[in-house]
Amino acid sequence: MTTSPPVLSFEGVTKVFHQGDVEVRALRGLDLVVHPGELTAIVGPSGSGKSTALHLAGALDVPTTGTVRVDGVDLATLTARERAALRRDRIGFVFQSYNLVPVMSAHENAASVLALQGVPEAEQRTRVASLLEELGIGDLADRRPDQLSGGQQQRVAIARAVAARPAVVLGDEPTANVDSATAERLLDLIRSLNERHGTTFLLSTHDERVMKRVRRVVTLVDGKVASDETVGG
Amino acid sequence: MGPRLAVLAWRNLWRNRRRTLLTLASIGFGLLLAVMFTALQDRNFADMIDIAARMGGGHVSLQHPEYNDTPTLTRTVQDTDALVEVSEADPYVDKAMVRIQGQAMAATAGRNLGVFFMAVDPTREDEHTFQLSKGLVEGSWIDGPDDPGLLLGRRLAELLKVELGGKVVYTLVDKQGEIVSGVGRVKGLVSTGAPSADAGIVILGLDTVREVLGYAPDEATTVALFAKDPRRVRAMRDALVAAGLPEGVAALTWDEVQPDLSAFIAMKVGGARFMELVIMILVAASIFNTLFVSVLERTREFGILLAIGYSPMQLFRLVVWESGWLGLVGVVAGGVVTAPLYFWLATHPIDVSAMTGTDEALEVAGVGMPPELRIGIFPENLALIAIFVVGATLLAGLYPAWRAGRVEPVEAINLA
Ligand SMILES: Nc1ncnc2c1ncn2[C@@H]1O[C@H](COP(=O)(O)OP(=O)(O)O)[C@@H](O)[C@H]1O
Ligand SMILES: [Mg+2]
Repeated sequence: MTTSPPVLSFEGVTKVFHQGDVEVRALRGLDLVVHPGELTAIVGPSGSGKSTALHLAGALDVPTTGTVRVDGVDLATLTARERAALRRDRIGFVFQSYNLVPVMSAHENAASVLALQGVPEAEQRTRVASLLEELGIGDLADRRPDQLSGGQQQRVAIARAVAARPAVVLGDEPTANVDSATAERLLDLIRSLNERHGTTFLLSTHDERVMKRVRRVVTLVDGKVASDETVGG
Repeated sequence: MGPRLAVLAWRNLWRNRRRTLLTLASIGFGLLLAVMFTALQDRNFADMIDIAARMGGGHVSLQHPEYNDTPTLTRTVQDTDALVEVSEADPYVDKAMVRIQGQAMAATAGRNLGVFFMAVDPTREDEHTFQLSKGLVEGSWIDGPDDPGLLLGRRLAELLKVELGGKVVYTLVDKQGEIVSGVGRVKGLVSTGAPSADAGIVILGLDTVREVLGYAPDEATTVALFAKDPRRVRAMRDALVAAGLPEGVAALTWDEVQPDLSAFIAMKVGGARFMELVIMILVAASIFNTLFVSVLERTREFGILLAIGYSPMQLFRLVVWESGWLGLVGVVAGGVVTAPLYFWLATHPIDVSAMTGTDEALEVAGVGMPPELRIGIFPENLALIAIFVVGATLLAGLYPAWRAGRVEPVEAINLA
């Protein structure tokens, strides 16, 4: 069996924050490889380094030591401009809440990455419309974020993150701010996107329910991988 | 379709409607002040040039090269008819007037005073070339260039203790340095608006004075040229010089002829520029404050935008667009409040004689200004103010925009 090259890898990654005189070692030698098409959850107690790992994977921050690669490219070798282009073209992001630009409609928010890429408007329109439809919010396309529920907002954020078909979608506790029924629906949608389009997801969570719906669970403790299990899903 | 930066910036402008409206109000008010202030100065400036020109030598004087240093009646120009013809053919020149100007002694039965005289052709002059054409307060004008009669400043008539119809003897020094004199009856009294001029002006017929002085029939001290555009006098002079003036004829602009007045105007214009600068700084400060606060408030949003692929440069440009819109809308808003007030004031000069306590003209650098608050802005100054406002806005937006481009994504996103 041949495996395709990883979309994302951490090799001996450490990250040290300095808060005044205090050194916070958020990651202490993280090794992790994510292959295309995977649906992976990073779990672990609060403060275990989940967000930090996702930020590094998304080229929003740089490691103290070690190497982070996306599509085989060492992020440390990229200029600021190249990192911005990488985030635009290869990474999708979904945060816990308030992901959307308040002055854009749902449709505009979802299309914004495509617009940044210069995708022609007609193509943006059809791609985003079908995506919103698939996510069950086709009829809300013209609403502004403040006219949407928290769950609906997260769906728009997911649409934006997957619209440009990135190498990997990073979700930092994407279901933490919605009720459990909504969280389950979001996870179903993520899972179906993964199955139907092969979209690669790496989600952080400390929600038990998330773990039941993914294929792989990586547990972080103190900034290191404590366990890495393939689960039934 | 994701909106472009300009559209996004426009929408962002209206997120905090109250704050934006307040900022627009301050830009609009700044613009109103700047326009009104400049319009007052411009009108003043235009009036002074105009009145100065109409008091004496025109916008450009053709004179003997040494006449301006020592205006004696021996320093004359010849062939004035030809000079008038050539000058009036110049595209810059509206009209050319031949005059003899100089010092004289005026004597009546009771008094003897030093005066300033102007000898003109009343059939050619009008209020556009000679202010006193409209300054008659008593009696009548002299009829032609050979009318032996004369007009006196109202105050001068009092000083000379002479009334309409009374005789005045005027004594001049002619070309040979001889003392010569003429005599005429007072046909009318004039008022210039400037008290010192009123106390010393005598108006005579051009040919009458030529005869007294023994001048040739087309000899005079000055050919006064009036410009079609009074602010292009330098270009007009240069064009005349380039076209070639006869030997012994110099062309001087009004500010070279009247350096006091031009220095005064320069000072006033400097003052207007300074006021404009102060207003612009106030406008810029208000814009800066608005944009800076709005950028700080949106730090997390900028972090999200960076995460999804906006570049720092795009965030910078977004905020620059916001400041540009603010300036542009501010100028439009300013225009909407300024225009009605401007046009009203431009057509309804405010009488300030109550404030100055006299209905005499205000004398400024020897020029009498009517006691009215009048406005009229030069179009290029209006354009300059608009450009200034938009420029100040953009400038004020640079630092907030730079801050937006420098947002640290991780820190910003953690601001949840
Ligand atoms: N910008 C930062 N500055 C200082 N300390 C930080 C920063 N970001 C994270 N940390 C610290 O690093 C550790 C890991 O944090 P984080 O990655 O957010 O963990 P998790 O997402 O698993 O809760 C925590 O102790 C946190 O306080
Ligand atoms: Mg976290």
